[in-house]
Amino acid sequence: MKGHKDNREFIAALEKTGDAVRIRQEVDWDMEAGAIVRRVCETKAPAPVMEKIKDYPGFRFMGAPLASYRRLAVSLGMDPRTRLPQIAEEYLKRTNSAPIAPVLVKKKDAPVKQNILLGDDADLCKLPAPLVHEGDGGRYIGTWHAVITKDPETESVNWGMYRQMMFDSKTMSGAVFPFSDLGKIFYEKYAPRGVAMPFATVIGPPPLAAVAACAPSPIPEPELTGMLMGEPIELVKCETCDLEVPAHAEIVIEGVILPDVRVEEGPFGEYTGYRTSPRENRITFYVKAITYRNDPIMTISNMGVPTDEGQLLRSFSLGLELDKLLRSQGIPITGVYMPPDSTHHVMIVGVKPRYSGIAQQIGQLAFGSKLGPWFHMVIVVDDTIDIYNWNEVFHALCTRCHPANDIHIHKNSVGTALNPYASAHERRYSMGSKVVFDCLWPPDWDPVNEVPTLVSFRTVYPKEIQEKVLANWSAYGFPAET
Amino acid sequence: MNLWEVYVNSLADLPQDVELTLSIRTLNEGKYKYTYSRVAAKVSPDLDRYPDRLQVRFGRGQLSDKKFSIEILGEKQIVPEKYAWGEADIEFLARSM
Repeated sequence: MKGHKDNREFIAALEKTGDAVRIRQEVDWDMEAGAIVRRVCETKAPAPVMEKIKDYPGFRFMGAPLASYRRLAVSLGMDPRTRLPQIAEEYLKRTNSAPIAPVLVKKKDAPVKQNILLGDDADLCKLPAPLVHEGDGGRYIGTWHAVITKDPETESVNWGMYRQMMFDSKTMSGAVFPFSDLGKIFYEKYAPRGVAMPFATVIGPPPLAAVAACAPSPIPEPELTGMLMGEPIELVKCETCDLEVPAHAEIVIEGVILPDVRVEEGPFGEYTGYRTSPRENRITFYVKAITYRNDPIMTISNMGVPTDEGQLLRSFSLGLELDKLLRSQGIPITGVYMPPDSTHHVMIVGVKPRYSGIAQQIGQLAFGSKLGPWFHMVIVVDDTIDIYNWNEVFHALCTRCHPANDIHIHKNSVGTALNPYASAHERRYSMGSKVVFDCLWPPDWDPVNEVPTLVSFRTVYPKEIQEKVLANWSAYGFPAET
Repeated sequence: MNLWEVYVNSLADLPQDVELTLSIRTLNEGKYKYTYSRVAAKVSPDLDRYPDRLQVRFGRGQLSDKKFSIEILGEKQIVPEKYAWGEADIEFLARSM
């Protein structure tokens, strides 16, 4: 299975499966496009491809590119009807395989170099940055994209999704937390030395490059993209700095992050479903070059109440990266699932409860890891519970978690400025609290005389009775089950 | 008349007839709508006092029903000249051709 090399191939594949809609009438970049994408997310509609943008002839929008598991399956070259556990299995298989290094192509072979704007010509207002929500602090140019930077000492490359607001025609501001990969490099290695940090923002990256940029994986994103695609991603050198960008991206903005300038950023409708983080002076990106393909497609993610691709993909990859981490530590888990509707705040971990304290051990590993700042609840259930079935998980939570003994609170942890429940002080200093819900039967209970028996169709009837009832279900007069 | 918008925590952040430093964004239609300028300006709740109009939003994007007039006294440079496109950029470009 090969991934799509760009969004054009991806859109064609989505159209074939009924997962994209082309909008041919003119759409206004000033809130109308955002409202379309928001409604798509809330109604789970196909991804909109907007062919005609007001004020910007030749430009196009693609909204909510990966806001459903169907579209995620298509991006991986799978049948859109593939069920989530099988998509997860495929993701784990690919990301546990050997790294696939990117290949560098010449500029003449890179579509993203078809148009090049340098210096004063590199004007952000030449791009149709949308006002995504009414009341947003600005037009957000980077909502489904990758910000590429490099560590000046190790030369390791980072691709990450850090929202970027157009401040004026030459500058953007962005929310970059100090615990993020970009934040660590900038605040430790550039800002204290007063050195400008080169960056390249890739808008409309190949779909699996976006998945990689979104994933909290320790594997460098160019290699991770290759592993997901099943072939190397093609990169090309930037015009103004020593960075490389996907050759088949739609738009690239190059420039420097200023060590000594901050401009206001936000507010913005966020993945939690609220506008939470305060308007603050934040990191400032100064633009030196813009390159783009002919008829470029700007990708838009509209964050808000579920389900947008930020929630869906972060939940997907956070859950699977925690799965890898726990297995690497020898924890006898059966799986990890993070429901997107939790706005990636709740981890559900299935485990074979072989020893006492295992739920706390899982919580400590999860919250103490690099993944930890992004979620604050871990629900641990045993291997009789289907972690993908919320009804079963919720039933276990309500019935097996002792209110006095099994809720373990971790105070003074790392949080994010976007946590709606946090105080203004906690948001400003990225502070958080965490909780583990231990839904395992106590290991010292006698399994015969103390552990309650689950009363359900599949647990309290002999197999032959179950089969007889199922075989006769329609004959009893019930509608056929799908 | 130009229409501008500003974000504040409270209307008390906009004392009248005092020179203020504000980041304001234009609401004039076109490609530059919503771009910011950092300016020295005076504002007044008297809509006839200054030539342009200013509307106000609070920290989470809520629109205030109070409107102001505004006079822009001057624009402040945000990005120091040392970061502007220059010879080093042209040299890098030439080397990478």
